[in-house]
Amino acid sequence: MASFRYAFRDTFRLLFRHWGLSLLTLLTAASVLYILGFASLFAMNMRYMISRIEGALVVQAYMKRGETAEQALELVRSSPLVLNVRAISPEEALERLRAKLGNQAQAVTLLGENPLPWSLEIQVQRAEHITPLVRDLMVLPSIEEVLYAGKLVERLATISRASSAVSGVILLLTLLISTLVIFNTIRIAIYSRKEEIEVMLLIGATSTYISLPFVFQGMLLGAGGALLAILGLGSTYSSAIEAVRSTLAFVDIIDNRRILAQFYVFLFAAGATTGWMCSWLAVHRFTSQSMRSR
Amino acid sequence: MDIRLSGVTKVFEPDIVALEDVYLSVDSGEFLYLVGTTGSGKTTLLRLISREYLPTRGQITVGDRNLRKLRSSDLPYYRREVGVVFQDFKLLPNLTVFENVAFVLEAMGIPPKLVESRSNEVIDQVGLWRRRFLKPPQLSGGEQQRVAIARAMANSPSVFLADEPTGNLDLRTSEEIMRLLLSINASGTTVIVATHDQYLVDAYRQRLVELHNGRLKRDERRGRYFVDGEL
Repeated sequence: MASFRYAFRDTFRLLFRHWGLSLLTLLTAASVLYILGFASLFAMNMRYMISRIEGALVVQAYMKRGETAEQALELVRSSPLVLNVRAISPEEALERLRAKLGNQAQAVTLLGENPLPWSLEIQVQRAEHITPLVRDLMVLPSIEEVLYAGKLVERLATISRASSAVSGVILLLTLLISTLVIFNTIRIAIYSRKEEIEVMLLIGATSTYISLPFVFQGMLLGAGGALLAILGLGSTYSSAIEAVRSTLAFVDIIDNRRILAQFYVFLFAAGATTGWMCSWLAVHRFTSQSMRSR
Repeated sequence: MDIRLSGVTKVFEPDIVALEDVYLSVDSGEFLYLVGTTGSGKTTLLRLISREYLPTRGQITVGDRNLRKLRSSDLPYYRREVGVVFQDFKLLPNLTVFENVAFVLEAMGIPPKLVESRSNEVIDQVGLWRRRFLKPPQLSGGEQQRVAIARAMANSPSVFLADEPTGNLDLRTSEEIMRLLLSINASGTTVIVATHDQYLVDAYRQRLVELHNGRLKRDERRGRYFVDGEL
């Protein structure tokens, strides 16, 4: 218990004794976490916009005359790619046609017997799922025709794949850069106390006792940096929402408070964890090297 | 705690032999001077006992611990039983005298009240009570040496190693330090003092071990620094 008290006291001593270095670490952590947060928000919004467009994509499969939709319905329902499927009877299709024609709805009576076939309205999870689904449907003997926005689907699928890859790479890079920057800044802090640590080891301090203040310091700086980054991101993002709404009203952008709050909590945890891990690694490496008898 | 060295050799890269085939036995509660010229291996021997170095060959046991087999997780606990006064003091310049002494006890997880009372006790013992809130750069060489001694004795170690504790000090201060070391020994602590201060060795005669070019040259009970006829 006493060791924790000393560790907390030493954490604040460390922070304030080398306040310039602490401030530098804090600002560095805040900057890299801001970039990380910005890249994540960008990736999330890209994904969100694409999924909104993908969600609106519908595949329509028309049965041959006299065929029911049972066989095709069974196949579609068993597919994991499908989000939602609905069978449209000829009667319902006729009703829809009437509704569409409006005051010319009387014209459908000229058709005599209802000529419309059974059809399926299928929604898939992602644009890239459409092509394999269409391929499966076309081989069914009961299917007459499958309608979908072919080129658009292919382009969307490509954009979706590319955006996932690019945002993945950006996230990975920013995470790597943040880790390296925080790790190195804390390593400098450790080297500035090299002599003190060596004396502590010589007089019998355990590596845990030596590490704790540095680990707490790393966590505090990481969490503090994340808080600053969140404040910056919050203000930038709300300005971005305003700007998008006033200029590009058709563009969907995430403004759900719950999702954003979850994201900020995640960023805060990422900052604290990165700070903790980096400082632990840096101090552990140093103490292990110093403890090794020559 | 007793100390046993059997056939200890220490070679530094590439091929500097600091100690060669040293056999030495120090009983618990004994006081021993380690003398010899610069480069004779005194500091290396102390550093082997404090487990800063590992011997290239041979065994060192302190109490019931074989230092070669000591795991790194046990090393801090071993070092707490060995108080070391370093040649260059190794005091932390930005901590006060009190903090320099207290942090040894804090590192052991001792509660703050006990840390305070024990630190004050040893600071008083070494005669630095009135200077306890000063920092090392504000102290004289002798005072810094006494802080180093206070720090080494704070956790009442079983073995006390002092490397040139009177180096560059005037005679009066050296005698004060010497009396301090003898008082530590009087409480049952095994004390090894590496020195080439011939006056003190002869004035406060104790067991004397002389090293020469890394080899044990002499081991005498109540020996004198210079053997008759050597001068």
